[in-house]
Amino acid sequence: MAASDVKFLVCLKQVPDSTVRVKVAADGKSIATDGITWSISPYDEYAIELALEHKDGDPSTTVSVVTVGPARSRDALRQALAMGCDDATLVIADDKAGGLDVAKAIAAIVKEAKPDLVLCGKQASDDDQGLVGPALAEALGWPHVGMLTKIAAAGDGVELWREIEGGHEVWSSTLAVVGLVHKSAKEPRYPSLPGIMKAKKKEIPEKDLAALGVTPGAPRAEVIAMEPPPQRGGGKILKADGDVKALAVELARLLHEEAKVL
Amino acid sequence: MKILIVAERRDGELRRVTAEIAAKAKAFGDTEVVEVTGTDRYHPVAHANAVVARAKSSGADVVLTGATLNGRDLAARVAAKLGWAYAADCTDASVKDGAFQVKRPMYAGKVRATLRVPTPAVLSIRPGAWTLPAGTEAVKPAAIAADASAEKLKFARFEPTATSGKRVSLSEARVIVSGGRGLKGPENWKMLEDLADALGAATGASRAVTDAGWRPNEEQVGQTGKTVTPDLYIALGISGAIQHLAGMTSSKVIVAVNKDPDADIFKIADYGVVGDLFEFLPAFTEAVKKTKAGA
Ligand SMILES: Cc1cc2nc3c(=O)[nH]c(=O)nc-3n(C[C@H](O)[C@H](O)[C@H](O)COP(=O)(O)OP(=O)(O)OC[C@H]3O[C@@H](n4cnc5c(N)ncnc54)[C@H](O)[C@@H]3O)c2cc1C
Ligand SMILES: Nc1ncnc2c1ncn2[C@@H]1O[C@H](COP(=O)(O)O)[C@@H](O)[C@H]1O
Repeated sequence: MAASDVKFLVCLKQVPDSTVRVKVAADGKSIATDGITWSISPYDEYAIELALEHKDGDPSTTVSVVTVGPARSRDALRQALAMGCDDATLVIADDKAGGLDVAKAIAAIVKEAKPDLVLCGKQASDDDQGLVGPALAEALGWPHVGMLTKIAAAGDGVELWREIEGGHEVWSSTLAVVGLVHKSAKEPRYPSLPGIMKAKKKEIPEKDLAALGVTPGAPRAEVIAMEPPPQRGGGKILKADGDVKALAVELARLLHEEAKVL
Repeated sequence: MKILIVAERRDGELRRVTAEIAAKAKAFGDTEVVEVTGTDRYHPVAHANAVVARAKSSGADVVLTGATLNGRDLAARVAAKLGWAYAADCTDASVKDGAFQVKRPMYAGKVRATLRVPTPAVLSIRPGAWTLPAGTEAVKPAAIAADASAEKLKFARFEPTATSGKRVSLSEARVIVSGGRGLKGPENWKMLEDLADALGAATGASRAVTDAGWRPNEEQVGQTGKTVTPDLYIALGISGAIQHLAGMTSSKVIVAVNKDPDADIFKIADYGVVGDLFEFLPAFTEAVKKTKAGA
């Protein structure tokens, strides 16, 4: 990777916070959004952290963020700026834009901003698809590496760590490349107070899909029904009244005879 | 309907999910099973190129892969290259009025959705979603060659995780024993592993544990870890945070051991043991061994 002035672009999506108890809306095919907390999708937070860790080591690094979404997504961009990202772009779109459309819109941004590395989350925690990253790479004609946990400069390119069963594959690539982030070395940082102040003053330019040459229309999967996972509960609670051994034998018996999983 | 199925191997053997898909997909139309060869490892670009070329030349209406690490990665790139509709990690699929109707988790596993996927389409199917009928013929995939020689992305080396053993893979395991912060430290994992050995189980962990570096990342179960659906999930010293539950709440039978009677994990457990895991675990491992020996 060029020794300095590396440009990252991190793609992020605003999704219901991981603590939200997701409920199905009255239409039976979407989720109830009244009063829920929105956050940056967890893997995208890791992607931001990976990029900012690079910037910590080399202040000449710039980290830009982009999101394609409704106006409320501005808060997620603001959060990313407060964490330490340099600039943000909001592409206004409604939910008619599918993964391939989003990828096309971001590809148009990439062509203007010319980042060396684009990071996405490995999947957004709303649709759980994992499509936008590979689709963006495809639209740009770049390679992509999934399950990314680490990036390091190597020659004039990069080495990328991909977590698989039993360890990491290390891939080397010339720039530019798209990484689909699984984890960062550290937990995503919290915004600092000065970070928050600075972020407040930053302008977040807004673009729209049409101006980027995207008209939603790519064939896509459409949700026709949603249901909560089957209710659980009413299980047997066993307490050790001194005799742990008898309890252990009883549980083994229940698993064998009643649940039939042993 | 013409269906192109992409096979996958693990340690030289075809993965079970390939056979599961091949058996089930016959109900959708004409199937062809292919295997990408010509590279030592899965290469995201070269493999996608090979599969796309075959999908085009064979006139496929749908491409199916297993929703494994590589299968999901491949399916997404193939869908993008072809510009086809896409659904990842389907737990079921059927053909209805010329389109696919699939089921898949959404919102990090917190809801189950049914989607209409117009053809042409690319779908990845979760391992174990379709049970393999007994006596199914072995699958013999046709080789399609990938060429990664001109790719800018190159495999450099493999760095194994220090603690990873020969244990069953977490995503495919029928029994999982998971540990949380209640185990107090990595030195206590021996106890958990003894139980896992007695059960022939894979080992999992909460994020508190992988974040602390007690266990490798790949063991993490939950919203930002793996989603698992074993027959038996045993949670030891795990509180049951919503993000952990997102990854394991569809397990068939859930056992929880926790000293706090109000721990959230008990709300979804089929069998809950309120007590100190350090006392309970060795006794339970013994009891499991005896039950297994007698069974
Ligand atoms: C965006 C986001 C994503 C996340 N993703 C995940 C994820 O994928 N997976 C995940 O697991 N978490 C995830 N988390 C973290 C999650 O919120 C919890 O912090 C985590 O699951 C807690 O782990 P734990 O249950 O091991 O620890 P704790 O919550 O600390 O629980 C430890 C439990 O052990 C019990 N205990 C202690 N001593 C004993 C003993 N001697 N005997 C028996 N019981 C004992 C305690 O009563 C307690 O219930 C995520 C969080 C966020 C914000
Ligand atoms: N609307 C969006 N705007 C910006 N980035 C997105 C958007 N949707 C998805 N992404 C990126 O692509 C990743 C995978 O998303 P998905 O394909 O929706 O699972 C996310 O983690 C983000 O990094």
